[in-house]
Amino acid sequence: MQLLDIRNLTIELQTSETAIRAVDRVSFSLKEGEVHALVGESGSGKSLIAKAIVGVLNERWVITADRMHWRGVDLMRLTPEQRRKTVSQDIAMIYQDPSRCLDPTAKIFNQIAETLPEVAAKGFFLKRNRERKDRVKALIHKVGIKNHEAVLDSYPHELSEGVCQKVMIAMAIARTPKLLIADEPTTALESTTRAQVFRLLKSLNQLKNMSILMISHELEEIVNWSHGIHVLYCGQMVEAGPTHRIFSQPRHPYTQALLKSLPDYEHGLAHKEPFYALKGTIPTLQHLPIGCRLGPRCPQAQKECVVAPKLSKHHGHSYACHFPLIKEIK
Amino acid sequence: MILDYILRRLGLLFFMVLLLSIFTFSLSYLFPGDPLSNLSGIPDTNFTQNAQLEEKYLFNSNYFMQYIAFVGRILQGDWGMSFASGGSVFAHVIDLIPATLELSIYALVISVVVGVPVGILASAYNKQWPDKFISSTAMIGYSMPIFWLALLLIMVFSLQLGWFPMSGRVSLLYEIPASTGFILLDILLADFPYNGLAMLDALHHLTLPTIVLAMYPTTVLVRFTRESMLKVMDQNFIKTARAKGLTRGQLIIHHALRNALLPVIKQIGLQFSTLITLAMITEVIFSWPGIGRWLIDSIYQRDYPAIQGGLMAVSLFIIIATIMAELTYTLLDPLSRNQAHGKV
Amino acid sequence: MAKFNLFSEDSNKSPLARLWRKFKNNHPALVGLWVFIAFSLLAATAPFLAPYGVNQQHSDALLLPPSWNEMGDVRFILGTDDLGRDVLSRLMNGATYTFGLSVVAALITTVIGVLVGTFAGISKGIRSSFLNHLLDVTLSIPSLLLAIIIIAILGPGLMNTVWAIILALLPQFIHSIRNLIVDELGKDYVTAYRLDGASKWHILSRGIFPNVYEYIVVIFTMALSTAILDIAALGFLKLGAQPPTTEWGAILAENLGLIYLAPWTVALPGVLLFLAVLSTNLVGDGLRKVLQARKAD
Repeated sequence: MQLLDIRNLTIELQTSETAIRAVDRVSFSLKEGEVHALVGESGSGKSLIAKAIVGVLNERWVITADRMHWRGVDLMRLTPEQRRKTVSQDIAMIYQDPSRCLDPTAKIFNQIAETLPEVAAKGFFLKRNRERKDRVKALIHKVGIKNHEAVLDSYPHELSEGVCQKVMIAMAIARTPKLLIADEPTTALESTTRAQVFRLLKSLNQLKNMSILMISHELEEIVNWSHGIHVLYCGQMVEAGPTHRIFSQPRHPYTQALLKSLPDYEHGLAHKEPFYALKGTIPTLQHLPIGCRLGPRCPQAQKECVVAPKLSKHHGHSYACHFPLIKEIK
Repeated sequence: MILDYILRRLGLLFFMVLLLSIFTFSLSYLFPGDPLSNLSGIPDTNFTQNAQLEEKYLFNSNYFMQYIAFVGRILQGDWGMSFASGGSVFAHVIDLIPATLELSIYALVISVVVGVPVGILASAYNKQWPDKFISSTAMIGYSMPIFWLALLLIMVFSLQLGWFPMSGRVSLLYEIPASTGFILLDILLADFPYNGLAMLDALHHLTLPTIVLAMYPTTVLVRFTRESMLKVMDQNFIKTARAKGLTRGQLIIHHALRNALLPVIKQIGLQFSTLITLAMITEVIFSWPGIGRWLIDSIYQRDYPAIQGGLMAVSLFIIIATIMAELTYTLLDPLSRNQAHGKV
Repeated sequence: MAKFNLFSEDSNKSPLARLWRKFKNNHPALVGLWVFIAFSLLAATAPFLAPYGVNQQHSDALLLPPSWNEMGDVRFILGTDDLGRDVLSRLMNGATYTFGLSVVAALITTVIGVLVGTFAGISKGIRSSFLNHLLDVTLSIPSLLLAIIIIAILGPGLMNTVWAIILALLPQFIHSIRNLIVDELGKDYVTAYRLDGASKWHILSRGIFPNVYEYIVVIFTMALSTAILDIAALGFLKLGAQPPTTEWGAILAENLGLIYLAPWTVALPGVLLFLAVLSTNLVGDGLRKVLQARKAD
């Protein structure tokens, strides 16, 4: 069954003069047990989509969509209370700056214990306490923190970012959610901790069949373990499909530029060789180009690109470009 | 770590008291008139008395020795004699401080009990009419001069309506033996046939001064609590907790309050010093027999030893209260405990 | 319905223009600003505008209530006191004393405070920590108490009051300025300046000061409201301006005995005091809110 089914999601910002389209008709869907990646530069609207699903966007943002279904339930028709309930049971989210997302005046033990689903009402006060302690301990061990005594007894500002992120993951999986949305979870971490967090997420996906929606701007991290990729540029969906297909045959110039910009460490780099990058920068929200938003920067742009290209599908691989890169089969 | 911080704070306390004593000592020279009589409180000394005093106060040695003698006398309780009454300054101080303290403590309690919840309420209804109403009322109260407020209340409630008396602590009909100096406690402790009536009377006398004194700290706390709550609710971890699925009530009680109230506690500590100063003005208007009124009267009468003594007492209290409030704040706040060794 | 915009240009205004625009939208603050300006003009021109002399006594019109009362007289709009002096003229002149002198005191405090505070903020090492300790000590004594002490030494009188207020406001002021400068020095652009090799003076004048002067104005308004309250309080306690000087607090103290017979002589000076402090607070508060909102933009 489709866990998450989103079609033509548009998020607009109402300013005093016009409405700025931060996210323009993005569609994707997620099945159970799948790991899906949303890739794009900063400013492409990936975090907005995640926040719209969970429902924590400000009132200034206007969300419209043809479909936004979670396991068959239309999220947009629910009242805020029902939405909060549905979301808190089945969807969990981890963020970019873990230490700022934890309450600075509460000990870690209390914060994790708060997210535990209600302990069975039987038993004494002491027995319930014991059970709570055991479950918190189990959670902490599951995310790979060995010395639980020290960590559980400390405050967030006493721990490193990596440990904080693991604590956040522990809080997220406490209710065994069906979907874990990870909003750039490793940006603030060092590379060793990054690898640990990825391994953890991967094992959670494989062992518990938990779907993960991974939002990131680093391609290399998600190549190995995501099933599908959505590439976003400036709020528009540019290309989507199974990972291996996108990597071997990118159709959109932007995807190709992304792939080309990954430094090739295996074959060595020449001395002082410049890295590949598309010229220009991502446009600001106030000055969005009409039509295909990559237009001004695209090396293959022509007159037709003034009109937004339609999405074309080909064997599960969809792309939106007037002039896609299709290799001739000789 | 904490012990280290406490020791540093006590060191600062000692340093401040030291500076205060030096300043008070130098006042004898800064005040017009003969320094010797300023120190001792005995005006127009004749020759032998002069000689005796000079010996006792080490007047013929340098300033440092005089200062040492001064400190020694202070610690022994010899604060000189008041020009106006001829009695010991120290005895006056001990006599009058409880009245001021009583008034200030009641006003502080009222300001916390009223101010903090109202501030939280205002922040919960941010940008809606309860918030606007509370904020404007707080601004009006904050800008009102305290003596004018006192006069207005006296005009309306004492003179026109006659509900509350306008001076004194308790009606002259009742003779309450002074044991602790705190009038309500004294009434409770005294073995008195008219206990209930006396209590009612004392409360009547207490009402207007306490309301006047509590006005400023209450408005400060309302504004400060409201701002603190708004700032905390805007932070990332609150939004995360909301996404986790906590209800608004749970959010406020378990997370927001604790974070928001910490700076408020610090602010309460700071209010104490303003409170004592405002109490001085209130005492003058309501003829409340406290140390503030005595100090101001001494200034009119140029009673220099009394001024020195009163000043020392009031400043000492303020310093001690400030340091204690800071210590409490540090003990409660986990963040500042870590930074304790960084700055003093 | 969005407004129809013929030109699709963005408005890119300077921070000061944006500040003024936001300030204008805050209606109470704008009203406060008008009242504040009115008081300043009054303080400057009162001696010329007042209908009667300050000490001019009218023995035929003693204790007249204000003109809207049936027993009042239109000649004396706000009534007269027990010596037949016109209340309106006295209050207008009082603006010069209470408001005008407070502004002068606050300005002098600002100048000295900025100099000393900046010096304290940029100094490091033993000198700095000694200065900071000294400031902390003086900080724990409230300004009114300090003023009373200084009056006790110098003796009562209006000029002494001004000196006392200046000296009493300085510790708080220096403390705030110092914190401001230290916070600003910790920011990255100052480090960038230093790495570029800028001299201390250059960093201060070109880098820190333009970013900080708006906050100094906010601190100035807070000092001003404290100064007005303190001058009036000292006048009321008969420690400051002595009668027949028409400082508002002194007028209040003078007319205390008339509180039953002529309550307007006591209520009116208080109303003016209240309005002066309220307008200053509104302006300061509005400015602070606007600065916060602009930072968040």
